[in-house]
Amino acid sequence: MGDSQYSFSLTTFSPSGKLVQIEHALMAVGSGQTSLGIKAANGVVVATEKKLPSILVDETSVQKIQSVTPNIGVVYSGMGPDSRVLVRKCRKQAQQYFRLYKEPIPVTQLVRETAAVMQEFTQSGGVRPFGVSLLIAGYDDNGPQLYQVDPSGSYFSWKASAMGKNVSNAKTFLEKRYTEDMELEDAIHTAILTLKEGFEGQISGKNIEIGIITADCKFRVLSSSEIDDYLAEVE
Amino acid sequence: MVKMTDLPTKGGFSFDLCRRNEMLLKNGLQMPPFRKTGTTIVGLVFQDGVVLGADTRATEGPIVADKNCEKIHFMSPNIYCCGAGTAADTEAVTDMVSSQLQLHRYATGRESRVVTALTLLKSHLFNYQGHVSAALVLGGVDVTGPHLHTVYPHGSTDTLPFATMGSGSLAAMSVFESKYKEGLTREEGIEIVAEAICAGIFNDLGSGSNVDVCVITKGKTEYLRNYQLPNPRTYISSKGYTFVKGQTEVLSTKITQIQHKVETVEGGDAMEE
Repeated sequence: MGDSQYSFSLTTFSPSGKLVQIEHALMAVGSGQTSLGIKAANGVVVATEKKLPSILVDETSVQKIQSVTPNIGVVYSGMGPDSRVLVRKCRKQAQQYFRLYKEPIPVTQLVRETAAVMQEFTQSGGVRPFGVSLLIAGYDDNGPQLYQVDPSGSYFSWKASAMGKNVSNAKTFLEKRYTEDMELEDAIHTAILTLKEGFEGQISGKNIEIGIITADCKFRVLSSSEIDDYLAEVE
Repeated sequence: MVKMTDLPTKGGFSFDLCRRNEMLLKNGLQMPPFRKTGTTIVGLVFQDGVVLGADTRATEGPIVADKNCEKIHFMSPNIYCCGAGTAADTEAVTDMVSSQLQLHRYATGRESRVVTALTLLKSHLFNYQGHVSAALVLGGVDVTGPHLHTVYPHGSTDTLPFATMGSGSLAAMSVFESKYKEGLTREEGIEIVAEAICAGIFNDLGSGSNVDVCVITKGKTEYLRNYQLPNPRTYISSKGYTFVKGQTEVLSTKITQIQHKVETVEGGDAMEE
């Protein structure tokens, strides 16, 4: 990698002190499908739109929300393939941590390591930043947690957050609806309503995906029939 | 520099030091002995799944290092592995393959298969040409049914309906060969396994203490730690172990005074601030 013509870093500073490639990466995220997460008192919910490019696509083969450990799950906005690479690295890091310390990786540690990987790709030769922002939802000894990691490698802990196309409307909606002592069931309803706000077309269990972590520290993705039940409750 | 792809690790045994070792042996050096588990481990297939069994003694030469160690290692919720040989090797190799199986489960979204664990173990052991001294009995139940395998330190494997490994394997095998039949029930299977381990415990010096059993069936695994305790501690002295002062007889006394060594330093420099 050292001697090639492209061994300089593509993320070089602009005169105004910005890293233009990262700004562009954030644009890629901003044009991706909306996803959001809400931290409740007894769990976390993450949700995303699952708009497929054509009705011919087999929607059961697409899974945007992935689990990284039994108690940590990830959703993204932006470029799907980039998120797959990151999820793979996350899983491996979680295993390596467990092998070394014989303890399941705490959510903050996993977020920190993922953010470090994303930052590496902004300061190395011949690579480009990741075109995804991740929402990492987990439940460990510190309770339920929700983190957002950006292409630059910066991460924040959120009570509720959204990313992608409809981010400003979704965030305003969440700001109005969020309460500190929200239960997980309320959070799921709020998440669905937030997605519904900016949804083009008929919302159903087949074109959104929802993942939850409950107080028993188990992350799981809801089936489309479960989502349809929640949608019926929300109507 | 960032690695673009995860390069496969350059594994395999590095033979660089072998010539040096040969030269040292020729010059009369004694190789240090390995710490082994000296074990009886067994497994058998019954009608609904597999039963694994192990003793619980870990030895360091002639000394018992651990009276109640765990030799049945977790590989995945439906696969367990008994380990004989060098304790560190069996622990490390089963931990490593368990981790790899977990990553594989995330990637495929499916329950792990016994042959996957088997292949990962045998490839690793073959790469290390027998220097990783781990002799394993691997058993589990997956979508293709119940499976039982033995893995040898050099990387060869056998697929068997009943198997024993370790220093007590002959004692245990004698029990299996006379009592095993196809289509055993769960109770019969556990009984034969416990009997085989007991044969190892009582007839082999390298095995001892308690019997651990693990029963794996479709959808359910029971790890019966210390299923039998045939060696309870019965020798506690009723008088207790405190001793009155003066109980020990004094045979002779020699007193040597401490001679203080006095050093005078002449005109040393003052300490720098």
